[in-house]
Parts: sequence; C-alpha cells; structure tokens
Amino acid sequence: MIERITSQKLAAIGWLLLVIMLIIAGIKQGPAFDSSIMALLPKSDQQPLVQQAVDKMAERFSKRLVVLISGESEADVRAAIKTLSVDLTALPDVDNVVWQVESSALDRLKTELYPYRFSVLDEKVRQLLLDGHYQQVKDRALARLFSPMSPGKNSIIDDPFGLFSELTLNRHSDLNIKPSHSLLKVTGVEQPTYMLMATLAGEPFSTELQNNVLGVIRTAEKRLVKAGMSIRQSGLLLHAAAGAQQAKSEMSTIGLGSLTGIILIMLLIFRQLKSLLIAFLPLLIGCACATAVTLLVFGKVHLITLAFGAGLVGVSIDYALHFLCERRVTDSKRILRKILPGLLLGLFSSVMAYAAQALAPFPGLQQMATFSVAGLVASWITVVLWFPLLTRTDTLKPLLAAEKLNIFRHRFPRLQGNWLLIILLLIPLVFAVKTLWGSQSLDDIRLLQTSPASLLSQEQDVQQILGVSSSSQFLLISGDTLQACLQKEEQLAGELESLKKAGLLDDYQALSLALPSLKRQQDNIGLAQKLYEQQLAPYFTLLKVPGSGLSDANVQFKEDMSRRLTAATWQQQQGSESWKDLIIDDSDSASATAIRFTGALNDEVKQRLLSISNKHSGVTYIDQVQNISDLMGRYRSEVVNWVIMAYLFVLLVLVLRYKVQVWRVVMPPLLASVLTLAMLVQLEQGLNLFHMMALILVLGIGLDMGIFLIETGEVPHTWLAVSLSTVTSLLAFGLLALSDTPVLHHFGLTVLIGLALVWLLASIMRKNNSGDVNS
Amino acid sequence: MRRYLFAVLFLVPMLAQAELTFEQLDELSVSPENLTGDFKQEKYLSSLDASLASSGVFNYQRETSIRWQTLLPIQNELLMTPTAIVNSQGGKELVRLETDSNPAVTVFSEILFSVLTADWGKLASYFELSGNVEGAEWIAQLVPIDKTIMQVVSRVELKGDVLLREVILHEASGDRTTIRFENLNQ
Repeated sequence: MIERITSQKLAAIGWLLLVIMLIIAGIKQGPAFDSSIMALLPKSDQQPLVQQAVDKMAERFSKRLVVLISGESEADVRAAIKTLSVDLTALPDVDNVVWQVESSALDRLKTELYPYRFSVLDEKVRQLLLDGHYQQVKDRALARLFSPMSPGKNSIIDDPFGLFSELTLNRHSDLNIKPSHSLLKVTGVEQPTYMLMATLAGEPFSTELQNNVLGVIRTAEKRLVKAGMSIRQSGLLLHAAAGAQQAKSEMSTIGLGSLTGIILIMLLIFRQLKSLLIAFLPLLIGCACATAVTLLVFGKVHLITLAFGAGLVGVSIDYALHFLCERRVTDSKRILRKILPGLLLGLFSSVMAYAAQALAPFPGLQQMATFSVAGLVASWITVVLWFPLLTRTDTLKPLLAAEKLNIFRHRFPRLQGNWLLIILLLIPLVFAVKTLWGSQSLDDIRLLQTSPASLLSQEQDVQQILGVSSSSQFLLISGDTLQACLQKEEQLAGELESLKKAGLLDDYQALSLALPSLKRQQDNIGLAQKLYEQQLAPYFTLLKVPGSGLSDANVQFKEDMSRRLTAATWQQQQGSESWKDLIIDDSDSASATAIRFTGALNDEVKQRLLSISNKHSGVTYIDQVQNISDLMGRYRSEVVNWVIMAYLFVLLVLVLRYKVQVWRVVMPPLLASVLTLAMLVQLEQGLNLFHMMALILVLGIGLDMGIFLIETGEVPHTWLAVSLSTVTSLLAFGLLALSDTPVLHHFGLTVLIGLALVWLLASIMRKNNSGDVNS
Repeated sequence: MRRYLFAVLFLVPMLAQAELTFEQLDELSVSPENLTGDFKQEKYLSSLDASLASSGVFNYQRETSIRWQTLLPIQNELLMTPTAIVNSQGGKELVRLETDSNPAVTVFSEILFSVLTADWGKLASYFELSGNVEGAEWIAQLVPIDKTIMQVVSRVELKGDVLLREVILHEASGDRTTIRFENLNQ
C-alpha cells in the first residue's frame, strides 16, 4: 500500500520535473512568434523572391499614413495641413512628413532628366518615330511653339523638337496630386482637398506609437470638424489600432463575461474553490508544454497556432471535470481504475484527430497538430498523475447538481423506440444533407480582416481618390540583371497597353517607364538622330532661323546623344523616389522588379495577366489576396480530409470495444456536425477554414462525452461531468460568436451550435438507467 | 515743404497702383458670353534672341471653350475646354492633353482660360495683383503666389478697358508671349 503511494508520488514529481524542464527549454529557445500568413504556405510554393516582393509591397502600406483634409475654404484647408504636419513632425514616432513641395526640389525634378532628352523619350513620340511619322513630331513642335502658352523648357537650339517638353508633360506622379501653393493638392475632387503623408519611425502595431500618432490626429480632427472640414486617413496603423481597440473591448466584455460565467457555474456545482482551481490546472500545464514543444520543434510559434491550438487543448477540460465529478462518489484509490479506460479512449480519439493533421503537407497544420497533441497529452498526464494526489484527502460527497440533473434528464424524451422522435430527427437531417450537398465554401481573405466597415470604406475612399496602386496584385519580373528585367518589362508593355486600351486596366507602374533599358535608350538615340537628319533643316527654314542656329543645334545634339541614363545615376535623382520601390532585388547574382496596377482588377483582367505571366519566362503574376484565399481553401479541405480519416480509424477502435452500442458514442457528434454545418451554410453563406477548426473541437468534446458516458454506464456524475464541460466550453468558446472579429465569430458560432446539439443528441440517445446516486 | 510735396506726389501713383483690386477689374471689364476677334501674337525666344510672329482668329464661349486658330505662318487650331487641350492641324488631331490626368496642364489651362475670359475670381486664387486705372483703361500686373507656377509663368501683364486688349506672358525661361486682340465682336 505504502509502496504504491510512493510510486504514484514519484511519477507525479517526475512529471513536474519534466514540465519544468520543458518550459525552461522553451524559454531558453526564446519565445519567438510568427504572424506572417505566408509562413503557413507549403515551402515549395513560396519562393523566397516572391516573399521578398510581397514584403516589399506590404512595407509601403505598413509604415505609411496618408491624411486627406477637405473643406470649403481653400485657405483653411491649407492652414490645417500645415498645422497637422508640424504637429506630426514633432513626434519622435514619425520619421518624416511629406506635405509640401520645395521649389528647389521641383526645379531639380524638372531639369534632372534634361541631359537625357534624346535617350529617354516620351512613349507617344517614340511610337510616332517608330512608325516613321517624323513630320508629325515636327508639327507637334511647331504647334507648341505657336501656341499662346506652352509650358515646359523650350529651347529652340538645345531641343528644337521639344522632346523634353513631351516627356515631362506626359510624365505624371503615381498619385492624383498637383502642387498648389507649394502644398499637395488632390486633383479630380470637387471640394478643395490636400494631402499629407507621414512615414512612421516604428512598427504600426506598437501601442505607444498608435496612441501618440492617432492622438495628434484625433485632436486635429476635433478641431477640423468644428471648423466644418473633414479628414480622411489611410494606413495600416489605423487598422492595427482598430484591431487592438476591438480586442481590448471584447476582452473586457466577451472575455470577462465568459470567465465570470465559468467561475460562477463551477462554484455553484462544486461549492468549493479548490475544485475550480484544480480544474484549470491541466489546461494551463497543457498550453505551457504545448508552446514549449512547438518552440523546440519549429523554432517559433505562429500566432494562429497559438490561438487555435489553445482552443483545441481546451478539450482537456473534459478530463479534469470527469475526474473531479467522479471523485465525489469514488475514493482516490479506485478512481483511476474506474475512469482510466474512458480517459485513455478520449485522449486516443482526440490525439488521432489532431495528429492526422500533421500528415497534411502544410506547415501551419503540422504546427497546429504538434501543439494540440503536446498540449492534450500534457493535460491528460497532469490529470492522471496529479489529480489523485491533489484530491487524496477529499471525502466522498455526492454532488447535489448530479442528482438534480438526473431528475431533469429522466423527463427528457429518449430516441430508442420513439418513432415520432426518430422522424422528427430525420427530417432536419435530410434537409441538412441536402443543404450541404449544394453548399459552397467561402474562403475569403476578408475573414482575416478585423477592421470596422467604416474604416475599410474610408481606406478605399482615400485609395480611390489618390489613385493608389494596389500592393497585393502585381507582376514580378526576374532576370539576371536589372537591365534584363527592364528589357522584359518593355516586351510586356505592348500587352499591358492593349489591356489599358480595352478599358480593362486603369493604369500600371513599371520601372521601365521611368528608367528605360540601355538597349531601349540606344534605340531612342537612333530615332532622334533620324528625326534631326530629316526634319531639322526644313523646320528651321520655316522659322527663318539663321544658318548658325542649325549648326548650333546639331552640335548640341552630338554632344548629348552619347548620354545614357544608367540605373545608378537614376537612383541618385529626385524623380526616382516614387519608383524605387519597384526594384525588388538588385544584387550581383539576380534582379527582380515589380509592375504595379492602379484600380481594382476584375476577374477577366486577372486572367489576362495570368496568361501574360505564363507566356513569358521570368514573369510571375502574384495575387496576394487570391493566394491567401486559396491557401485557406486548401487548408480547409486538407483539414476535412485528414479529420475524416482519423475519425474512421477511431470508429474502428470504438467498434471493437463497444460493438453495437457504438452508435450512442458516435451518433451525437456526427449528427451534430452535419446539422451544425448545414445551419452554418444557411447562416453564413458558406463554410470556411475556421468553421472546420471549431468543428474539430466539437467532435473532440462530443466523442469524449460518448466515451465517458458509455464507460461509466451513464451514471449521473458522468452526466454532470460531460454537461459541465459542455457548458464551460460553450462559455469559453461559444461566446466568441458575439465577437466582431470574423475569425473568432466563425469559430464561436460553430462551437455554440455544435456543442448545444451534441449535448441534446447525447441526451436523447442515452440508455435508461438510474445510476450512482439514490433517487 | 517741397520735399514733402515731392514725397506726396511720388506716393500718389503708388497708392493708386496698390488700390487696384480684382473686384475693381470686375467692375471695369465685362466677361461676355461669347467673343470673337483677331489676334496678333509675338513670341520672343530668348535662346534665339528673336521673335516669332503669328496671327489668326479666335472665339470663345464662356465656360465652354476657346478656339484659337493660328492662320499665319502655320495653320493650326487649338481648342481649349475645361477638360482638355486639343491641338489639331488640317482637321487632324496632333496633341491632346487631358487636364485630369495631367496636373501641370490643369494649372495652365485654368490660368489661360481665366486670363482670356477675364475670370478675375479664379485669377485671384493664383496671382497677386497690382496695377492702375486711368479712366476706363486699366493695366494689371499678375505675379503668381505659388512658387511652382512662378517657375513657368513669372509674370502676366494685362491691358484693357471694357474688354481685354493685350496680354503679355512672361515665362521663367526669359521667353515671353505678347498677344494683342483686334476687331473684337461680342
């Protein structure tokens, strides 16, 4: 007897040491978290270059805050922009604020390309020259010369054909803004609107930075609204702040609500604090061990793993409650012998379901499987090794609630032999299967969106007004050198232009539009030379320019025709600022550039871009929105497949043990799943990954319920245990249905419907016995 | 005393000059619904130190369009509307500049439109005004407020009575365009 207790103690201490060691090892490894959705993509799919491009594109959005101020009075708006810019510049969290045009900068911008006027040609002029319309180019120059006002640098000797004017007039900024009173005025809107753009010094997710920057903006907003002006903003900072705000407020409403509910119910049932504290111990140990193991195996934990893994480990509350309820009617010596088979089978079924996901070729699922299995096993060992010792001195004290539940249960109808109930159950089942048959999945990136609709529409508004190009859809051009990329871009230009002409594409930004390849520059010089040879003499004769003018012009051309705009020179220029980020990679071994698009792309143009990328080697069409949606869809179907296989195997084991009675174990979670999915299809227009993740939790708790019940012969204290774990899970996860964050809402709603149905179905499929309390 | 008198005499025209306001110009001149007439243009090119003379006819519909037809020495038509500037030759479109896709063009077309149609309200948002009035005739000097505009148009001189008679556009490059209107018909 004494020996046995010692070995039990030894095992418990051994487990404690192991847990401590695991946690220390995890901490030593360093708690590293990963939040990039791309890290969840299968390795082979995700080339490092694509990742680099995606990161670079996202960076534009993540550190930039764009503010538009509009009002009736132009002067007021200008003053407001100035004040806000000064306030923002004063913050240490803001790197710089772009809000005014220095005239010297504008001057440089206007003249820095002048020496390259023969090698960098306007596209329209180039086309005319290519088609041999030299005369037309001359006519354009003449028309400009005689026009009452022709903006731009016009020097009849240096640039008689106004090639530089043509270039600068048609080069426009990538945003819809023009300088006005040295500020940035938005074009194409009715109300006077000015823009400023702040670059953040730190991460947009930093709470302190959010408070500082948005504090200044909110103060300004109050002042502006009073003065009848309006302010619109765009930037990741706003979404990050909104997400944090929402999480905070939901933590204090939903989170607090579910915690209070769980504590109240546990206290009400067990009427002691000890049981409440003990019940959550395995969950805590489980999550700690799971995080440590995942860190040790994968090097870092993905935040999505953490969120859902912790939810899945939540199943382990089943083991704790089953033990604690049973302990009230069984002494500590016999309890393990009584419930160990049930606990073991429960663990087996959940571990199978979770572990199956590790076989799927997705790093995210593998991590999630590792996390959940480690967490579940740790929780389970905690219950089995620690609980007998922790409750060693507790006396047998049947729970009043078990008795009350038993009476209530007996009033419940039973399915067995009740044809009316069977038919009543079959009808919704038929409908459910029919609904599921024709259902569609809805794997939309918007599921990951956490911002309120008003913020999203404001964001869209600003992007549309400014004509900001999308950062999630682009063409990635790769080549051995930057020149090779530029040449490839130039080959694509024709196809992109024809998309523009067809009205499919608003506009695009390609590096080669600002920096033509050296080969293209060489061609351009040749064209310009022909233009001079054919048209300069007749042109100057018409203008009655003296003969010295003609030779001067030719000398000037000879002098400048050898100039080429190299990438290095260009990058030193002012005008390259807004184009530079199109260079994804420019190392010695390889180069890559991106072509960005303006406006929303419809399916047809996406298809065309895809076929362009298929046609040319080294050109890849990247649609980050679609990639993520596809990724979620693939995860969803993988999850479903592997879980189905796992449960078929579990079913086989259960059939071996329970024979015909297996239906009582399997039917409640199975039917509940079908009904839940059908209801979700009706309520939410389609199923997504997060519904499926939640369904695994429902299945796990449902199977545990059936196994525990059948193992103990459906005694009242087991019924109490499974009912309690249903209620606590409903409170912990089901309440998430109230969340405004789509992911949490979907997860919560599934658990809410699913668990409620499992419990109801288990109740009507029960055996008829009186059990372990005298009633 | 004489010194004071001199000072007063010297100051008077300055005061008068400073007094010219866009409101005053608005009263003195009219902006007819439509107007046709001849123009003579002289463009001084600093790089050649020579002038190019041209002439032709024009007509404008208020707030709709200005048709600027150069007849000599080349034949060319410039059609300016608030949304685009189209240059054509022999009925064939040569250059088209859309104002909304081209901020620089927007500013120039707005200024040119305002100058030719004597839209003083709009000019007030771009320029500072000085000048003087003698009876029914006035001379106005417009200097851009905005440095970015200043880089192209450094100064605009306008002369007129009820109607605008002469415009001189001074460009930052040293070029200048003088336009004189004749045979104006409302």
